[in-house]
Amino acid sequence: MKKIQILFKSLLFILLLQACGETSHEQLFDSSTLDKRSLEEVEQVVEDFILAENNQTIEIGEGFFDLKTQLILDSKENIIIKGAGMTKTVLSFRNLKTGGEGMKIVGKNITVQDLTIEDAPGDGIKVQHTDGLTLRKVHVTWTHGNKSKNGTYALYPVQCKNVLIDECIAAHSRDAGIYVGQSENIIVKNSLAYGNVAGIEIENCDNAEVFGNTARNNSGGILVFNLPGLPKSDGRGTKIYNNQIIENNHKNFATPMGEGPNGNTVTMIPPGSGVVLLAAKEVEIFDNEILRNKTVGVAVASYQITGFPTDAPNWSPYTSEVYIHDNTYDRSKGMPDLTRELGQLISLYNAHGKAKTQDIVYDGIVDKSRGTNIIDNPMNICISEPKIQDLLFTRFDLSQGEDNIQSYPEVAPFTNCNVRIETDVTGIASR
Amino acid sequence: MINKKLERVFLIFLSSLLAFSCKTDSEKSTNPIFDPQKVEEIADGEFPYQWLSTYGFFEGDIKDLSPIDGLIPYEPASPLFTDYAHKSRFVWIPEGEKAKISGDELDLPIGSVLIKNFYYPADFSKPAGERRIIETRLMIHQSSGWEAFPYIWNDSQTDAILKVVGGETEVTYRDENGKNQIINYLIPNKNQCKTCHNKNEKLDPLGVEVKHLNYQKEINGKSVNQLAFWTEQGKLERFLGEDQHPKMIDYSNESLPLADRAKAYLDINCAHCHREEGPASTSGLFLGYEQTDPLKLGINKTPVAAGNGAGNFQFDIVPGKAEESILIHRMNSTEVGVAMPEIGRSTIHREGVELIKAWINSMESN
Repeated sequence: MKKIQILFKSLLFILLLQACGETSHEQLFDSSTLDKRSLEEVEQVVEDFILAENNQTIEIGEGFFDLKTQLILDSKENIIIKGAGMTKTVLSFRNLKTGGEGMKIVGKNITVQDLTIEDAPGDGIKVQHTDGLTLRKVHVTWTHGNKSKNGTYALYPVQCKNVLIDECIAAHSRDAGIYVGQSENIIVKNSLAYGNVAGIEIENCDNAEVFGNTARNNSGGILVFNLPGLPKSDGRGTKIYNNQIIENNHKNFATPMGEGPNGNTVTMIPPGSGVVLLAAKEVEIFDNEILRNKTVGVAVASYQITGFPTDAPNWSPYTSEVYIHDNTYDRSKGMPDLTRELGQLISLYNAHGKAKTQDIVYDGIVDKSRGTNIIDNPMNICISEPKIQDLLFTRFDLSQGEDNIQSYPEVAPFTNCNVRIETDVTGIASR
Repeated sequence: MINKKLERVFLIFLSSLLAFSCKTDSEKSTNPIFDPQKVEEIADGEFPYQWLSTYGFFEGDIKDLSPIDGLIPYEPASPLFTDYAHKSRFVWIPEGEKAKISGDELDLPIGSVLIKNFYYPADFSKPAGERRIIETRLMIHQSSGWEAFPYIWNDSQTDAILKVVGGETEVTYRDENGKNQIINYLIPNKNQCKTCHNKNEKLDPLGVEVKHLNYQKEINGKSVNQLAFWTEQGKLERFLGEDQHPKMIDYSNESLPLADRAKAYLDINCAHCHREEGPASTSGLFLGYEQTDPLKLGINKTPVAAGNGAGNFQFDIVPGKAEESILIHRMNSTEVGVAMPEIGRSTIHREGVELIKAWINSMESN
């Protein structure tokens, strides 16, 4: 899709205008008003993590903890890490000099609750190889004025099983605020993600439910991706429902100002994206309020759209088995993004007229082994929105090359079907 | 619970211990002078001890690091870079016990201890001259598995104290080119050890592997295969000779093929995390010496969760274009969150960067 850029020289001035797009520096509270804990008190917390024994609660008191080393909980079971409250206990990693993430956890049946993590150079809290994880009322943020200094993920469970994220807040990550990767059996609920590049992202995961959350003021609200070449090679089964996905029009700061996308897929997300599916399998999106996202409400895309190599074992670049129904949309925000190629595609080539926000777009890329005629809906993309006649839908045809992009407004081929998406998270719902 | 036999050795040192304990110092804290107050400690076999001297690994003046009988020095063919620190390494295998080679693995018996001392010669052109020992890391093989314990040396170099929270200290030295260097040396906290020493979430030795030790090295003035030497000392069984086991090369040996050297470098410096069994398996980037899959090696591979680390680049390795490869970008940075490896890298390993650059540039362009 590189060539597309060349076509838009005439639109450069709009691009420049948008480069100074929306930026949020909103903070839940001002942590500088908290009492600063002494060096000994800070080292005590580090030591508590290191010397933790199974079945223990690690309590962290009130105050501002200026940490110079990582907090690592290693291979322990049934541990609760408990602060005095999101606005009372702040673990700051601004002065961390080695390592990436602020808090790192490996273990079994671990709970982290009632605390804030600030300014980790890498990820805020990374949890790996853990069966049974609860993150509750955990707030992760970055307070730098320059957001390009911010860390990658705020909440980052990866290669985990049975993950519950509840009433958490993730702000200002330069990748995803709440990111669950290569995991299975997941609930993300009643949480808030704002000011991130991606609000909530489910990547290479099986069996996930994302509900009751607010994703606002991110570049993209909620993402379901499958990326190639990972140990957990693909993922399927995600339900996204009862979420507020609002005004995700933040500029994409995953790369520094003035620099385009790099190899991180999230750098390609156009500001103004509500929900984005990329190489996703078995996804149901329903009963959400998808409002005032300036580029697109829901984008259904295959990995080919990134232009990156699509060859990887046990993985498919196609998005398939998608059921989008009973959501509300609002296109009133204005013109779509032009800073990212996907934004340019939508803005310039949609089926309803230049610079019109779209409610649902589908890239129309099909797996030829499943059928060649898009009208037969071989990828099983099903849309059942009550006021479909009022929505702007575009299906693209990119098969004729970048110089001959076609688009079609007819949603009919995709409305006479439904897909049954199976998820089961009852095992973790009661926690 | 482990290795009661070690105790006997310690008894010899008890007297010197007692001597130490009489020396008191009211100054408790550390910066700039680190001289924690010595408290008497008995070698009761319950590890870890608070003081390095309690183990009795070294005879004479402890700062000379002269090993007691039975302590075997070792050195991997290609060493891991740690901020240009020099390392002196020993393994203790309990009396009457032996390490065994099974398959490609080197199994050390319960009670074994790996002792790794990190020091800086005042002048790198005189590596045997005056030096400052910063820390000693012990890895002890207990019945529950390996455990790591970091000891920080006091400024008077009379002992080192267990400090699980780690620390930092300023180090000055004159490098091989005669240039004065100052670095902020970071001593990892106990659990950070596992950032590198991690195999399937179990703490695991790195350099003490058959492939890393299987080469000729000067020991006591003569050149001998290290594993043959271990065998000779009665401390190893099932070593069938150098050619019968996997073998790692020395990446700094310029007479060897560039690609082999580069992969040897990546193996010891990166593959402890970047392998299926390591914490960086999340990335799908696998940098072991034996790796041949181009995608897993990072060739034209997009990053996954690199964040800041990706710079403005698309692929881990762009063949022929080192300057556009994320691997080089991360090796060539000291910024936390960008720098790789994550530990022991408050400085850039220039020779390593040059080697990997040359390797990438030697690849045929896309």
